[in-house]
Amino acid sequence: MSEHGPKDDVKGIFDNPRNVNLLKYSLYASCLLVAIADFFVDGHPYFDIEKFPVFYGLYGGIMCAALVIAAKWMRIIVMRDEDYYDR
Amino acid sequence: MTVDLPFGTVPPVLLFLLGGLLIAVTPNAFLRRLILVVVPVYGLVQLFALPMGSSLEFDFFGETLTLLRVDKTSIIFATIFHLAAVLAAVYGWANLDRMQQSVALLYPGSAIGAVFAGDLITLFVFWEMAAVTSVFLILAGSTVRASKAAIRYLVIQVGSGVLLLFGAILYFQETGSIAFEKMELGSIATIAIFLAFGIKSAFPLLHNWLQDSYPESTITGTLILSIFTTKMAVYALFRGFPGEQLLIWIGAVMTCFPVFFAVIENDLRRVLCYSLNNQVGFMVVGIGIGTPLALNGTASYVFCNIIFEGLLFMSMGAVLLRTGTVKGSELGGLYKTMPLTTFYCIIGAASISAFPLFAGFVSKGMIIDGLAKEHMLIPWLMLVFAAAGVFHHSGIKIPYFAFFAHDSGRRVKDAPLSMQIAMALSAILCVAIGTFPDPLYALLPYPVDYVPYTAPHVLHQLQLLLFSALAFTLLTISGIYPPELRSTNLDFDWFYRKPGAALVRGVVTGIAAINGAMTNFVGRRIEGALRSLYALHGPEGRLARTWPSGFMAMWIAILLTLALLVNYL
Amino acid sequence: MIDAQTAFLAAFIIPAIGAVLIALTGKSPNLRETVTLITAIILFADILIVFHGYLAGDVSEIIVLEIIPSIPIAFEIEPLGMIFATLASGLWILNSIYSIGYMRGNNEENQTRFYVCFAIAIGSTVAIAFAANMFTLFVFYEVLTLSTYPLVAHKETEEARRGARVYFGILISTSIGFLLVAVVWTWIVSGTLDFELRGILSGKIDEPLLPLLLALYMFGIGKAALMPFHRWLPNAMVAPTPVSALLHAVAVVKAGVFTVLKVTVYIFGVDFLSTTGASQWLMWLAAFTILASSLIAMTKDNLKARLAYSTISQLSYITLGAALATSMGIIGGALHIVMHAFGKITLFMCAGAIYVAHHKTEISDMKGLGRVMPWTFGAFLVGALSIIGLPPLGGAWSKFALMIAAADTGQLVMMGVLMVSSVLNVAYLLPIVFRGFFQPLPEGGGATSLNDGKLHEAPLFCIIPPVLTAFGCLLLFIYADPIRIFIALMLE
Repeated sequence: MSEHGPKDDVKGIFDNPRNVNLLKYSLYASCLLVAIADFFVDGHPYFDIEKFPVFYGLYGGIMCAALVIAAKWMRIIVMRDEDYYDR
Repeated sequence: MTVDLPFGTVPPVLLFLLGGLLIAVTPNAFLRRLILVVVPVYGLVQLFALPMGSSLEFDFFGETLTLLRVDKTSIIFATIFHLAAVLAAVYGWANLDRMQQSVALLYPGSAIGAVFAGDLITLFVFWEMAAVTSVFLILAGSTVRASKAAIRYLVIQVGSGVLLLFGAILYFQETGSIAFEKMELGSIATIAIFLAFGIKSAFPLLHNWLQDSYPESTITGTLILSIFTTKMAVYALFRGFPGEQLLIWIGAVMTCFPVFFAVIENDLRRVLCYSLNNQVGFMVVGIGIGTPLALNGTASYVFCNIIFEGLLFMSMGAVLLRTGTVKGSELGGLYKTMPLTTFYCIIGAASISAFPLFAGFVSKGMIIDGLAKEHMLIPWLMLVFAAAGVFHHSGIKIPYFAFFAHDSGRRVKDAPLSMQIAMALSAILCVAIGTFPDPLYALLPYPVDYVPYTAPHVLHQLQLLLFSALAFTLLTISGIYPPELRSTNLDFDWFYRKPGAALVRGVVTGIAAINGAMTNFVGRRIEGALRSLYALHGPEGRLARTWPSGFMAMWIAILLTLALLVNYL
Repeated sequence: MIDAQTAFLAAFIIPAIGAVLIALTGKSPNLRETVTLITAIILFADILIVFHGYLAGDVSEIIVLEIIPSIPIAFEIEPLGMIFATLASGLWILNSIYSIGYMRGNNEENQTRFYVCFAIAIGSTVAIAFAANMFTLFVFYEVLTLSTYPLVAHKETEEARRGARVYFGILISTSIGFLLVAVVWTWIVSGTLDFELRGILSGKIDEPLLPLLLALYMFGIGKAALMPFHRWLPNAMVAPTPVSALLHAVAVVKAGVFTVLKVTVYIFGVDFLSTTGASQWLMWLAAFTILASSLIAMTKDNLKARLAYSTISQLSYITLGAALATSMGIIGGALHIVMHAFGKITLFMCAGAIYVAHHKTEISDMKGLGRVMPWTFGAFLVGALSIIGLPPLGGAWSKFALMIAAADTGQLVMMGVLMVSSVLNVAYLLPIVFRGFFQPLPEGGGATSLNDGKLHEAPLFCIIPPVLTAFGCLLLFIYADPIRIFIALMLE
């Protein structure tokens, strides 16, 4: 497997930190944009909770963070060696 | 519009089954590949020439079996099954052996048979045939792990089938009919049928067979498996239990819990299996709501999901082909040398995450809106969470850990041409449906009164997705995001694979021991009886010579019996 | 073309003549085996003529002789017997072809005795199928036991003799100790032993005694291998595989459950049993046998032993059908006689083919063998799927009928037993095939290595029959309904 180990022959766009940062900041900017837009679009809400400002964004963001942290804790209980069932 | 077809309309099941058998006996590899593609293409074309209504009816056990019930519901499921079979055939053009090629028609054919089944007995037949044919795709993995997983898979699948048969027989007793129509939960019969459907659609706690077995299959095998069994079960629920409230809750739980496992799973194909489980949850919720809007949502989501989930499986298959692994911990940086596969994977990821302009957006919204219109807040919150979760594991995790993340240093070629064609076709479909959903809407079972592209819908969806991406980014940068680790994560199957298996082994050993002890006991008695007979009637050696003569045998028999009776009494 | 009545008579004479001719031609193996094959073919053709004649209503009872007044040795046709005779004689042809391949492939000794006994065994099976009364059936039941003893003891090793003694000991002691008593008792209370549609016992026996009489019959018919009198069957596996295939998957064991069905329908009467509930205990015992022997099968590494326990389990499906005491139960049991026969004979012939080609008997030694024996393992797969009861194979429909019968009598637990049994069958039959096809062959093996990329199948004579019977399983899926309709006539 001579292909293993980083080689410098192939440069990808994300090897350049500038591009990574560009992507990062454009994400931040889009988040800000859609958050602001929330105040200009009438949402036809079905539930009261939807009337909360930037509900979808906050709910999505917070729940995702919670998901990752919960899953991390879950590893304490459920994680075993790769060959657990084969032994 | 009428189409002139060279062979007229062949019953779709027959077409696939004959095609599969033909492949099995065709020695030429190229011809086999050709048959594999041509059969579903022909099937797809003739699908729209099939006469509406029930046909192909047979008398059986005094009842009538209906092999072909054509209406809008069966047609949309059959259409996507045909289409998926074509895509899978193209994708597997160069990497399927003869057995898998044959199964790649027999198994979809069985699922299509189930979709057209007009009665519960016919449904049972194809239900089991789908189980039996599909197991060969798992076996094709050709490892000891795969053949063990295959047995577990088949035990559960056959269990689902016999449960369906049990329910069907009791249902007939109750109603006097075997027709496969809408049922009401409430009797043992319908509960059994419901559970049978539930097993194959991988309801929570009945789901493990899926994550256990699918990742053990081959590159194309896993793709094909991911398409048919679960969607066949969704079809059965769609037909049998629309509007069953319980399904809303089952489906909602189903969308949520796999997400957690998906985050910590290392095998990226297994991540997709959890994702598949979660996706079917959305479909189940739609069926549970049961309004025309929600049912249309389910039908369209089945259609779109098969394409984009398939696309994701295809991209991971290409990675597996080129690198020999799909473990997140071993991959990364592949975008440099597999740019096209990366691109297609991102299209699939965007579609499954329901970004505007992609297929998921125009279909998933109908289900979530359907829930909102019924004012069911808690399931609705669960589904919105799950939608964010899908984006998290299928939309970000899959492409990120396979193609980006830290550079694994692997420098492999991009996917081979046939795989690229299949991925490109799927990607085109994802975008085409996402931007022009009307042809899909025209296929749906109920008239469509739904506009996907409204300002609030687009905005809310973008908020949900962008903020989820934000959470991912911040967690990764801060190092909180859990790393990919080589591991097995215990799921509900632990209960039957560890303590359950031990219990069964105990019972079996016990019964075998009792049986063995009894055998020895009786054996000794008979030995003893015979020995005393020989003592009376001559040397051991005479026996073999004299036995063939009938009279001698009869004589000894009678004495033997008397001796035995004395012994027993 | 001979007329049907003559053909009916000839059905009993052909195997006898065959046996004599085989004995006479024993010096020349080619001639002897030609005689065997021709006898089998003539017998089958003859049975088909009888079948045709029966459908046209041209066949009447034959009374051979009357030893005891009012209970003659006599033969008559009814649908179940007709099916059984057709089945046994038809499969005899395939089994004869197979026997030739197997016995020669293994250089077995005493082949003349083998073929003679085989012909007698088939002849008595036909006689059992057409027996007009319980006395006739009993006589040929015993002839069948006697004629198969030398087949089981064929190898004449200590192990073979021990197995044969258990075989013979249990079958004879149960039949004389219980069955004969039951027959005599029946005769005393009812004054007849003729098979009659509504039974001959109704109103003639104290109902509290009925379960006891039933027990004497059911345990007396040791060939049905109801627990705890099942142990002769695994012991009979010391016989050469063609014997296990035709006799211990079709003729002998099916003669047992055939007798169970005959007794249920024509001695007790289905309605009489169901109104008195006398067969309730039998149902539970059959259910126990189904599950317990499946579990035991899982522990057996010897392929033939595993198949034997599978047979014990499957035979109790038929006993269960009888114990349910409804017409659908009888039909289900009768269908299962046919379906299981085709499935199990396939499995045994495959087991034998593996033995002929590679001298392997233990399942754990068969890893990867499917790769070099695809036809054998393919046929095994089909047979196994039919035994499990999966479409598109015949076994699915007999199980279906039995489940309907259980549902009709409100026995949901029995439906559950059948369902669990299917799943157990998957667990102990399919790993054999899966390991055979999908695990690699063991490395090494020196000169006998099989890893040369070529096929290493058994002789053609050992492959064609199981492939044909496997194909038969498929046809039975499609043509199950005509058989069901024909069998249903026996209850009208």
